[in-house]
Amino acid sequence: SSHEHKLNFKKSKEVCLSYIQDAMLQKQWKRAAEFLTFYIESLEKDFSTEYMGPSEMIWRIGTEILCHHSHSNMKEFNSFIEQMKTLGVKRYLKVCLEHAFHLLCNGLIDEAYQNLSLAESWRFGEQTAIQDKEMKLIQAYRGLLDYYSWSKQKTILLEHGQDGFEDLSVEQEMHSCFRKAAVNLREIIKIPGVWDLFVKCYVDLLEFYGDHNEARQVLNEYAYNSKFPANPNAHVYLYQFLKRHGEPKKSLISALKILHDIVPSHELMIDFNTMLQKSKKRRKRRLGLEVIFAALDYAGWKESVKAWSCLARQVKQIAISEKHLDWIKQEWNSRKDWWPAFHFSRYLAKRNWQENESLSYEKALVAGILLGKDCKYFKYVSHQGCKAQVKRFRMLKKFVNKHNPVYLRISG
Amino acid sequence: MEFPAALFPSYFGAGPPREEGGPAPAAGWGEHGQVLEAGPGRRQAQTAFVPRRGGTGESWEPADAAAVPFLPPNTSCWVPSLTPQDILYRGVLRRKLRAGKSGAALDFTKQLGHFFVDHPEDAFGSLGRLLHKNFYLGNSKLRRQARDSTIRMTALMEEIDRLEARRGCPRQHLASRLRWFSHLCRDWLFEVPLGLLAECVHEELLLQWAGLLFDDSPTAGALAWLPPEDVGARTGRLVYPGGEAMNHLYFQDVVLEELPRARGSPAQFELNGRIQQVAAARADGEDFVGVRSDYHCGVWRVPARMGAAPTPLQVIHTAVPASCLTVSPHLPGELAVCTQSGAVYLWSVETGLQRLRHDPQTMFFRDHSPWRWSDFTAHPRVLSCADRTGLQCLDARAPERCHFDLFKVGEEAGCQQGERVVLPMYLGRAHPSQHLVTTQFSMYVLDERLPLVPVLKWAHMMKAPPLFAHLTPGSPGRSHKVLLGASRTQELLLLQYQGEKHSSRGGSRSACQLAGPPQKLHSITGCLQHLPTQLPHRHRLLQQRLGAPAAGLAAALREDGPRESLLVFQLSEAGDIFCQRLTHETAQPTAPTSGDEAATAPGSSPLFEAPASSLPGLGSEEEEEEEEEQTFYFPAAALRYRRWLKALSKGCGEPPRQAWPPTLSQKRLFTRKELETPTGPSALHGQARQHLRQAMREGGRIQRWETEGPQPPALPQPLEPAGGPDPLSARLTAAWSGDWWQWWEERSSFNMAQRQRALRERRRRQKRARGRRSLSASFTSSLTYQSELSELSDAAPPPLSPGRPPVLPPEVSPTGGSPPASLAADEALLSSQSLRCRGIPKERRKTLRDYLAVWAEGPPEPTEPPGSPASQLCIPSSQGQLSSASQPRRKRPRMGF
Repeated sequence: SSHEHKLNFKKSKEVCLSYIQDAMLQKQWKRAAEFLTFYIESLEKDFSTEYMGPSEMIWRIGTEILCHHSHSNMKEFNSFIEQMKTLGVKRYLKVCLEHAFHLLCNGLIDEAYQNLSLAESWRFGEQTAIQDKEMKLIQAYRGLLDYYSWSKQKTILLEHGQDGFEDLSVEQEMHSCFRKAAVNLREIIKIPGVWDLFVKCYVDLLEFYGDHNEARQVLNEYAYNSKFPANPNAHVYLYQFLKRHGEPKKSLISALKILHDIVPSHELMIDFNTMLQKSKKRRKRRLGLEVIFAALDYAGWKESVKAWSCLARQVKQIAISEKHLDWIKQEWNSRKDWWPAFHFSRYLAKRNWQENESLSYEKALVAGILLGKDCKYFKYVSHQGCKAQVKRFRMLKKFVNKHNPVYLRISG
Repeated sequence: MEFPAALFPSYFGAGPPREEGGPAPAAGWGEHGQVLEAGPGRRQAQTAFVPRRGGTGESWEPADAAAVPFLPPNTSCWVPSLTPQDILYRGVLRRKLRAGKSGAALDFTKQLGHFFVDHPEDAFGSLGRLLHKNFYLGNSKLRRQARDSTIRMTALMEEIDRLEARRGCPRQHLASRLRWFSHLCRDWLFEVPLGLLAECVHEELLLQWAGLLFDDSPTAGALAWLPPEDVGARTGRLVYPGGEAMNHLYFQDVVLEELPRARGSPAQFELNGRIQQVAAARADGEDFVGVRSDYHCGVWRVPARMGAAPTPLQVIHTAVPASCLTVSPHLPGELAVCTQSGAVYLWSVETGLQRLRHDPQTMFFRDHSPWRWSDFTAHPRVLSCADRTGLQCLDARAPERCHFDLFKVGEEAGCQQGERVVLPMYLGRAHPSQHLVTTQFSMYVLDERLPLVPVLKWAHMMKAPPLFAHLTPGSPGRSHKVLLGASRTQELLLLQYQGEKHSSRGGSRSACQLAGPPQKLHSITGCLQHLPTQLPHRHRLLQQRLGAPAAGLAAALREDGPRESLLVFQLSEAGDIFCQRLTHETAQPTAPTSGDEAATAPGSSPLFEAPASSLPGLGSEEEEEEEEEQTFYFPAAALRYRRWLKALSKGCGEPPRQAWPPTLSQKRLFTRKELETPTGPSALHGQARQHLRQAMREGGRIQRWETEGPQPPALPQPLEPAGGPDPLSARLTAAWSGDWWQWWEERSSFNMAQRQRALRERRRRQKRARGRRSLSASFTSSLTYQSELSELSDAAPPPLSPGRPPVLPPEVSPTGGSPPASLAADEALLSSQSLRCRGIPKERRKTLRDYLAVWAEGPPEPTEPPGSPASQLCIPSSQGQLSSASQPRRKRPRMGF
């Protein structure tokens, strides 16, 4: 009957858990809390060999309830978490980390810092791979908080510096914060992952102390190490760093070229296009056309006036000069079967005209050149524009009519 | 299209998933995941942090206590789908099999047996015809000359019958006769060679079982909502399947009012197969609706203006069942189709089909499932392709060369072992480069620009894998609402996520965050408890109907000033559509965070004050409003329920019942031999038989086996502590049954000597009874019945008042007028000894006794005085001859053992 007893116990445990789940999913936090008090009993006879034992469930459920329950306060939350920390050795670091997150989100940064420091000093036998990762994260977040206090002291110091007053102790403290932050941040960003926040802070520290080489190396590593995920931000940070330090155009362009290869729809592509259009080299201007065409392939850019005006400007230039029409032709070849339906339908002409006149102007210009003066989009918009007596639309009509041979050469 | 300035920190590993585990019931709770600095450029002030999960969301409160029927029930009769009980082995072996490694034991032999019984012509037709002259099934012996060409099969048939009766008996062993027969005829008796047939049946069973465990054919669901053209309009369209085989496609105009209402009759199309999926997207101001059945896919165009009829555009036929159909949100008339052979097509109404890929193998590691999926991405020429192992994006212009991995079941996304992709969905309406991927454990939000690393991950804790999903995009600054739905369990979950929060500078966007706790919505079957009480069989019917697996999910947003409501439609496999409303007040500030509340509620502990072992009860606290249970809905909903129930009972009435009353066969309980008496019948048997025959001749029932022989000594039996009947109730009883006059007569003419004798007799018996009182004794011998009767009379001390005659029952003979049968005969027939000597095994003796007891009971007494069951006949009597009119109740204890 001991077996039967175990079975019954297990069954009632499961039923209780399902009640708790049900209550939580219906936001009945109080009811869930009541059921959880019964569920605590399952800790006493924890026969389970399951992946997630009752103690972890109690931690998760209890935390969730305390986050939403209208009568909970931070003191209780803390005491609950302290109890949870003692419940399982394997989970100690995880619970500490989550506790720190909760404190941080509630603006209790000092408490979070204490918690992280305490967790950092915790030792228990040999660490598993997961615990190792969690420990690194704890250290990294502590480093982050060190960075924030460093940055606070920096502002104080800078403000005071303006007054011509120097406080040695503040400066010393600032430097010690720097050291603590730098050590921890440097560790985590060596491991493959997404560390945008940590990298930014670390680079900021290095730049302040003038260690540009190290900063550049860190950013290069973050952007180009193949073990790291293809994170667009890594390239953005590198580009911004290079721009800040007045690097030559060439290196800026090469940084953005790689970003273009990874994410052709990135918002920096506008900057990239402008930069390339200004270039004297034909190859770069050609690349500029490619970049803006590629960006406009994406649904997200469909209604961007900026992007369309970039394309319109460049297409206009080419049409006027009648040089490099083959560039347009080449770009257009792979798009002519779907761009008309995607960008230049009559429905869109109507809507763009109603919603955004400048957008319809830029698009009509591009449509007029790429698809000729008989294209639905151009016809509708120029007609509406002329009817509304807007000067630039009349000019547009004239321009397109004048350059209609360009269309014939592109489509031919 | 701006990329978040900073993403939440996460580790990135490559390779197969390392994390072990399985469905963990609470995995989705209590984690913030990671935190991120709230807004960049606010260095000066105190740094604020936002969590990846655990932020606040909008509050959407269910408006009703249950889902409300939206349309009248799909009246064509619905055949309930297969249940595990239908094909699983049920018997003694089951537990043994379950203990072993083989998971489910399919009842293969039963299915094969059913086939032989249900289709004997197909199974044995020709040989049966050939042989039927040579098989003799009668009982008598065969004549000599017939014996040369005929075999007597009676014994074999009996053997088979017995086998059926012993089904599940652990000591069952095949008779040698059966064994040699099956051995002899295995090769030639069957129309279809047995091995071949068995293989086919087994294969089909395995398929059915796999389908029961997880059926992926309705992935993405067969319900679609076409929103009105402009946001303010109130009329949209619902596209859904219906009809007997779910092969009719309906386009129904719907007016969004307090409760949505169907307007006019739907446009209807009859299709050539069961509709598995209805997909819809709006491109260039028109809705395109793709419909997938197993071997056909079709596309309709629906003009946005109301009242315009949908037009069918094209149909394609596939040789292998199609597993996916999605409609392009970018280009009108473009769709993506996948088949179970591993092919992915881009289907354009204008240019036809273009095969992008054909690979029967899965992408990242080997998985047996032939399921494939494809959807559109931010780039109209790039399609995502999925199988159970992950997602890849490929460029339709150069599908072999240009592709990248978007999602992998592996360490990259922090997956668990055994995790598989269930449903991918393009979230283009919320953000052009985001995708949703659900697995049986988690939901992921992915960004095409950062492949392989999910921007959001959450363990959804649903009991069945989410096969349906619906996105309701939020306007800038608001959260996007995602509904996840499961098929078998009808679960519905509402999640909110944010990814559109602009910072004060307006430049960079914040990373994706899950907003607020998830919320469970009503399932169709949940309304059962709110329905009026039904007759049991109707209740069961309704339960089955409402509990049918879900087949689709759709939602419509209705804005009415500051009040918004989300109308969630759920389709069931039976073709019923239910609807529920969630309301949200936009003006009302969102719920305060726990941090805000920390200051306002000091000292009141909701959870733990003391250590976990000694927790204070929480029930005493004041009730909160949030937990108020809603049990009432407004009359419109109630009216819909009533109409729906009425239509259901009218349309899908009960199947015709058999006209004849149920019969009870004892053929399988005992073999003929067992029922045969060993030697010549005894006198008792003779009597009993005579009695039976007479009853049969008269077409009546045997009221009671009664004996005329000497009464065996009665055993006292404290079965029922009967309270003494007071003269008043005795008199009332008599009055009630109409013979009050007789009662008075007897009372007055009672003779003293008789009374004294009765008293003496009673005292003697009471003395004896003190010695042996046991319940079990009543069933060990034939004396039981008698003892009961005497006990009744014993335990009733008559309240005798001086000067009044004691109450005695009238000596009435059975009303039927038939001669009283011998009680002893009955008892002798039932006694263990006699059953044993007839070779009836012990376990069946009880059954036989039961069986006979059913017929031994008299007719029910309709005119029973209410409120006085105990007192009705507990009157001292000299012997067990009781009135049959009021006795039957007394016998019940015998039957209930």
